[in-house]
Amino acid sequence: MTDPVLSLRDVALTLQGNAGPVRILRDISLDIAQGETLALVGPSGSGKSSLLMLMGGLERATAGEVRALGHDLTALNEDALARFRRGNMGVVFQSFHLIPTMTALENVATPLELAGRPDAFERAEAELRAVGLGERVHHYPAQMSGGEQQRVALARAAAPRPAILLADEPTGNLDETTGKAIMDLLLGLRDRHGATLVLVTHAPELAARCDRVIRLRDGQIAGEDRRAQEAAQ
Amino acid sequence: MSQLAIAWRLARRELRGGLQGFRIFLLCLALGVGAIAAVGSVRAAIEAGLEREGATILGGDAELRFTYRFAEPDERAWIDEAAGAVSEIVDFRSMAVAGEGASSERALTQVKGIDDQWPLVGAAEFEPTMDVTTILDGADGLPGGAMERILADRLDLEPGDRFRLGVQEFVLMAYLDHEPDGVTSQFGVGPRTLVATTALEQSQLLGPGTLFDVAYRVTLREGDSIDRLRSAVEDRFAGAGVRFRDSGRGAPGVARFVERIGAFLILVGLAGLAVGGVGVSAAVRAYLDGKTPVIATLKTLGAEGRVIFATYFLQIGVLTSAGIAAGLLLGALVPLAAAPLITAFLPVPFAAGIHLAPLAEAALYGALTALVFTLWPLARVEQVHAAALFRGIGAQARGWPRVRYLLAMVLALGALVGAATWFAEVWQLAIGTAAGILGALVLLSGAALALRFLARRLSRLRALRGRTALRLALGAVGNPHEGVVAVVLSLGLGLTVLATVGQIDTNLRSAIARDLPRSVPSYFFIDIQNDQRDAFLDRLRANPAVSEVDTAPQLRGIVSAINDRPAREWGDHWVLRGDRGITYADAMPDGTNLVEGEWWPNDYDGPPLISFSEEEGAELGLELGDRITVNVMGRDITGTIANFRALDFRTGGIGFVMTFNANALAGAPHTHIATVQTGPDGEADILRDMAEAFPNVTAIRVREAVDRVSEALTALAAATSYAAMATLLTGFAVLIGAAAAGERARIFEAAVLKTIGATRARILLSFALRSALMGAAAGSVAIGAGALSAWLILTRVMELSYRFEPVSALIIVAGGVTATLLAGLVFALRPLAARPAHILRAQE
Repeated sequence: MTDPVLSLRDVALTLQGNAGPVRILRDISLDIAQGETLALVGPSGSGKSSLLMLMGGLERATAGEVRALGHDLTALNEDALARFRRGNMGVVFQSFHLIPTMTALENVATPLELAGRPDAFERAEAELRAVGLGERVHHYPAQMSGGEQQRVALARAAAPRPAILLADEPTGNLDETTGKAIMDLLLGLRDRHGATLVLVTHAPELAARCDRVIRLRDGQIAGEDRRAQEAAQ
Repeated sequence: MSQLAIAWRLARRELRGGLQGFRIFLLCLALGVGAIAAVGSVRAAIEAGLEREGATILGGDAELRFTYRFAEPDERAWIDEAAGAVSEIVDFRSMAVAGEGASSERALTQVKGIDDQWPLVGAAEFEPTMDVTTILDGADGLPGGAMERILADRLDLEPGDRFRLGVQEFVLMAYLDHEPDGVTSQFGVGPRTLVATTALEQSQLLGPGTLFDVAYRVTLREGDSIDRLRSAVEDRFAGAGVRFRDSGRGAPGVARFVERIGAFLILVGLAGLAVGGVGVSAAVRAYLDGKTPVIATLKTLGAEGRVIFATYFLQIGVLTSAGIAAGLLLGALVPLAAAPLITAFLPVPFAAGIHLAPLAEAALYGALTALVFTLWPLARVEQVHAAALFRGIGAQARGWPRVRYLLAMVLALGALVGAATWFAEVWQLAIGTAAGILGALVLLSGAALALRFLARRLSRLRALRGRTALRLALGAVGNPHEGVVAVVLSLGLGLTVLATVGQIDTNLRSAIARDLPRSVPSYFFIDIQNDQRDAFLDRLRANPAVSEVDTAPQLRGIVSAINDRPAREWGDHWVLRGDRGITYADAMPDGTNLVEGEWWPNDYDGPPLISFSEEEGAELGLELGDRITVNVMGRDITGTIANFRALDFRTGGIGFVMTFNANALAGAPHTHIATVQTGPDGEADILRDMAEAFPNVTAIRVREAVDRVSEALTALAAATSYAAMATLLTGFAVLIGAAAAGERARIFEAAVLKTIGATRARILLSFALRSALMGAAAGSVAIGAGALSAWLILTRVMELSYRFEPVSALIIVAGGVTATLLAGLVFALRPLAARPAHILRAQE
């Protein structure tokens, strides 16, 4: 196996709650190869989203090492993490998290602008066309349906051509048909750009479309499943 | 693209979201900046008016003023030679008398004796309309005069009636509606009477030693300049006690007064801006709290902390500019719109227009205040973590901002205080006000936090179980998200300013009411000639209504040098400004409180010695043995300070800063002053009797003088209250903002409470209680802070005693409670009316 795109070693995450420290994750060790698609599954509170956050540098591990594309994320400060994410990572959220004061086009162009791309808006428009929103580029999030908003979020995440795509329950707020369409788009994007995809999901049929499935329970890896990959082969 | 350019783009996109949540922000800034800009604009308009109409106000291009003497013939000849046109004006106080015997009426008046050149500049207005010559010519063989209507009414006179000044009879030709050079005398003791100086020759009012001023108003010769004339006058009249003024400073006393009162009101306005700052800070905090997901999203997309800070800093900057612009518009237009009213009300010229300097000053204050109050919440946007998108923990940044932001805040605060000090010129006042505002803010913050802590503790008491409304109210007040700090700070600061004004005003009033009857004489009699003195005193003492008489010789002189150095080099102390009353005594007068040095021996005939007031001496840095040169009627007399004595001006008795030994001054022409104590019933009879017997003597009724002081005090308190009201209005806006911001939370709370069985009355009671608690806390702290600052101002600045005034204080607390109650209840209506199912479904 070539160098993993994402590598976690003995990772733990403990958060300070009102009633005292809460252990969210412990003893997580995991490697994810380039181009791989991986699903994180498990019951609510098992630590799926937290693990995704650690991979994206959105949360800092309290123990262990998180490396992405060879960089030790635990050693980077907030701004360095932001700069790292700019060109290397795209994140999709369950609640879309589009900026309500920006049009679809501006939402997609923002990470490109932050990365200093002079063709930010042209690229953003092309990206929106690719997800079927060519006619809605100047619409605000409030003027769109949930599925459309998530497509904008997908375009925004994919626009900088990141090496890693992270998706936290990308279909969780959508009906079944729309959810399936979004998942097709997500996997299509991954196929087109060759990105590594990690997604958190509750839906077994979505997990089944990934190369590998990691099952979490009580903050630990409870099992790993490569059936999807095998099935694909 | 630079990071700043990206931030600006992002800021512009964010601003498209509209002004939602920023109405209070804009209102606070606009009100604060507007009040300061308005006060500054009015001040600038008056100053511009004084400058523009300097020559009219002064009555010429320049003025040479002689203290109680006319120019000698050679001096007058020199003036005629040096200047273009010359007009001679005599100014003094006297009694105007109408009628004869028991039915006669008399009133104090400021007499202006004029010549046929008056007025050199501008025009006088009379009712009925006539020219000055016709007025002065008089009728029926008697010289004529004009009076202000208020004086004529007091004496029951109409044009054509006769009146007397001293022993000279005049015919009232017309009412004096407007004298162009009247501004400088607006602060005189009585209304104006205008007569010809030549007609006063037989009046016995201008005898040697009588208190009068003679001013020679001049116009410049063609090609001459004020500077050249000034230097020629200084050369010619060096040491002659002549004061020179030019039209550039036509009314220096008025200009100084306007400048000081303007500076003071602007400082009061700064308190309003500080209150606005609290609202601005709360609005920015609420806005940024709402923006947490956006900030976290931007971080996820790769935005660095400084880009995010710049994005929101620019947004707040744009909104601040809008708020300041609205304030400047308000501050510039209100005085402009009210110009006709102000012109009619003010006794000084008012050059209505847009004055840029005060607007720039107000804008600077607004920008610095916004910076001080928004940097803290803005700095914390950097601390928002991207993880906020996933979980609530750490979503709202807490803790201290980075050191560079704290440093920037301190610098901005320093610049604000520095600017206030620079513009106010009276640095003690500016520093005192700034310290007062900061102190009050710290005190109020502490009180708000203490209230929150106490309320949280109390809400958990077992004793409160079952008292649901009170427990809910205490719980809400104790909740960090309820905005208790903003409410207590904003309302509290407004109420503190009002409480301070209230305490000072009530204390001064009660001091006057309390002390006046026992210590202040009923009348001052002035201009008692040497040969009248004994007869005058005998007549008074023979009157059974008179309980006490005190008398002293009086001269007027200008302190020209101290230890041979010109007096002007000793600073701007009031003792050195203009002419002062001085007296002489041989033996030490009864009641003298000597604190340092020795009184001179009886019949002392050596070099002149001076007894100096201890307090003024200390302020001037004088010591025993220092030499004071006083110019009396053009002659310099230099005396040595032999002793210092304590002097209390508050008793209203005879008190002179300087007393010479008798032989030093007894030979100079002078008059006597007397004070008389009598009951209220005897006052009118004594006045009539003495005025009949000594028509040249002027009586000043002390109660009238005190009334004038009271009137001035009322006007000052009113002006301060208006400025304080702007503060309170801003505070109320912040209050409304806090109540509006909490409305959504209250709607949800009310829905839940209704679901679990709370009646609307109980919910309303709970909402009312929490408002009342916050209002009472703000009011109570305001009383404490107001009392403290009033005590400091009264005892340290005014050197008076202070007594806590409970009625004024209670009104403040009641006001605070009412204001919060009103704001709270207005925003309780929607929560009470909302249907629970609808609200709770929307939350899911």
